[in-house]
Amino acid sequence: MFLAPEGGELEIASAAAAFLAAAMPIDRLHGPAPADMDAALRRKIGEMGWFALALPEDAGGSGLTAVEFVLFFHEVGRQCGPVDVLAQCLAALTTSDPSLRTAIANGEIGVSLAVPDAESVRILGSPEAALVVQVHPDRSELFEMPRLAVSARDSLDPATSMRVAPSLSGPLASTQTTHVWTMGQLGAAAMLVGIAQEALSQIVAYASIRETFGKKIGSWQAVRHPCADMAIRVEAARSQLWFAAAAHKEGRTDTATHLNAAKHLANLAAVSNADTNIQLHGGIGVTEEHHAHLFLKHALVLSRLFGAKRDLLDRLLHAAVEA
Amino acid sequence: MDLKYSSADREFRARARDWLSGNVPKIARPAHGATAVTFDRDWQRKLFEHGWAGVAWPADYGGLGLSGLQQVIWYEELARARAPHYINTTYVSLMHAGPTLIARGTPEQKSFHLPKILAGESIWCQGFSEPNAGSDLAALRTSGVEDGDDIIVNGAKMWTTDAAHSDFQELLIRTNPDSQRHKGLTWLICDMRSPGIDVRPVRTMLGDAHINMVFYDNVRIPKSNVVGEINDGWSVALSTLSFERGLGFIGDQLELYERVGRAIDMAGKVRLENGKLAIDDCAIAQKLAALKADAMAIRAMTLADLSETDRTGQPGPKGSMMKLLVTSTHKGLSELAGDILGWDFLEFNGDRSAHPWTYDFLWSWIFSISGGTNEIQRENIADRVLGLPRAR
Repeated sequence: MFLAPEGGELEIASAAAAFLAAAMPIDRLHGPAPADMDAALRRKIGEMGWFALALPEDAGGSGLTAVEFVLFFHEVGRQCGPVDVLAQCLAALTTSDPSLRTAIANGEIGVSLAVPDAESVRILGSPEAALVVQVHPDRSELFEMPRLAVSARDSLDPATSMRVAPSLSGPLASTQTTHVWTMGQLGAAAMLVGIAQEALSQIVAYASIRETFGKKIGSWQAVRHPCADMAIRVEAARSQLWFAAAAHKEGRTDTATHLNAAKHLANLAAVSNADTNIQLHGGIGVTEEHHAHLFLKHALVLSRLFGAKRDLLDRLLHAAVEA
Repeated sequence: MDLKYSSADREFRARARDWLSGNVPKIARPAHGATAVTFDRDWQRKLFEHGWAGVAWPADYGGLGLSGLQQVIWYEELARARAPHYINTTYVSLMHAGPTLIARGTPEQKSFHLPKILAGESIWCQGFSEPNAGSDLAALRTSGVEDGDDIIVNGAKMWTTDAAHSDFQELLIRTNPDSQRHKGLTWLICDMRSPGIDVRPVRTMLGDAHINMVFYDNVRIPKSNVVGEINDGWSVALSTLSFERGLGFIGDQLELYERVGRAIDMAGKVRLENGKLAIDDCAIAQKLAALKADAMAIRAMTLADLSETDRTGQPGPKGSMMKLLVTSTHKGLSELAGDILGWDFLEFNGDRSAHPWTYDFLWSWIFSISGGTNEIQRENIADRVLGLPRAR
């Protein structure tokens, strides 16, 4: 029993942090919107092998586990990384066709993420993507991007393009397993925890330099105490996420329950911390040039993926966990 | 990162579960008073006699010398078996005084007190807070004057739980009258039967009087009862508090998950004033599920903190985070139980075993105020976890 990153896990996390800070910095989101993952960035991430992190070695991947996957997506979240990164990983897990899998894993072919929305589907991610993956709790399907009847929609979040299609049909590939959904939940929850952490780091840094009434604002309890609450939300969500990732790695039968709890706590932590970060910054927090609003907008997208509030709580209520 | 228990851990859990299944008292613990103290002493003596006392205490001091993880496993099994709650009259001796004496006591103090503590023979109470020194503990003024081999104590302590039933007290006093704040304090072992001690009960909103004010009128305490050095009591007190704020709350953390399960069971049976089953009410069901997630996170945080503590060898500042999360989840659960039970929740006569949900609801303020208020815990997090500019 050791519930904290150690050894090689820490190396993966710091390598991911350094790579993403250079390749996909959050500053990109202040440029022309939307800033999805374009083909050049996709190939760059693919060349480094990040999309194949959790693919088995005999499928051409790194054969790493849910734990490394979560540590990578935590870093993606800190940069408000696009949903496309997760879609690419999940698509590679969905197809068993070696050449298609390789083309997805190395970033030659782009993949968007589809989610059901009442009678239609919403497609999130770069319009350049040729494929779209839709993941259900018990199966995953990969489609060609429909060209007809797809309508582009405005998007609150500059990191995520949004389109609507009436339906998807005739999958290119599919897999009947809960594994892809689990990895999707883990990735989304990890990005949310990364956002919650980054929002906290941002306000702590600002509160240590900004002065009001002749004192640093971080010495006022009206600022200190909400920051403490932000830290608790991060710690609770992150610990539960680690637990869920380790549970999946070890094939525990209660993984889904731990993960539903982790996603719920990550939703709360990211949205609440993004909110508090804006508020405690004061006026500067509502300006476009500041990152604070980017965390909130991206958290609102991710919190709707792989289990939103009602869905998660319904499933948690009567679920039990192992001792 | 892994969740695998070693074979030694699994074997320990199986042994604990097996023993508890045949030995948990069949009768409920009395809520308070002398009968509760007798109940607690009996249970502790039973644990001691069967080799379950002081799971993580060093073997040299009569403990089992097991790991922090096995301590967690023990608390998990206690909660599962619905064994007597570990916050009882033995709490201060086992969770505060014992660990403090292990860390800072003299060989004589250790050999006299530790076996009695483990066996439930001596009950301790705390003597830190005063009427004008609670959150601001370093403002304390109860005085000690050296007189030959003794220290003569005068003053008053506040919020002392179970003072009337205690054998000893961990007493923090000011021995240097010219000192300020954290300097000039001394940590003493006070025999509660010493002449000059007057205990006056303070009734609480729970309807009981387990909390007391203690007055000291020229109480003579031998210098051999000083723990640490004279005028170095603050560092001894901090070592005591770090136990409470660290893994000391594991029992509550794990028990919360059990209690959420009990609330869900209850909601499946109780009808609301509109005739609906409570569990079919969307708002209640969502809150119950969210509390379950919080309870799960508390367990994960405990294990994550334990992993870090194992690596660094020191209880970390995360204890403050856990205390906040545990106390707010505890309060949220109690409030929700009130929602589920409706008018029945208000039928209360002070008896914990007859009205556990109402009792716990009232207790939730004691929980979020005692042992460092939630506001003080937020200050600790701001200073020690986040490194924000100091407020004080």
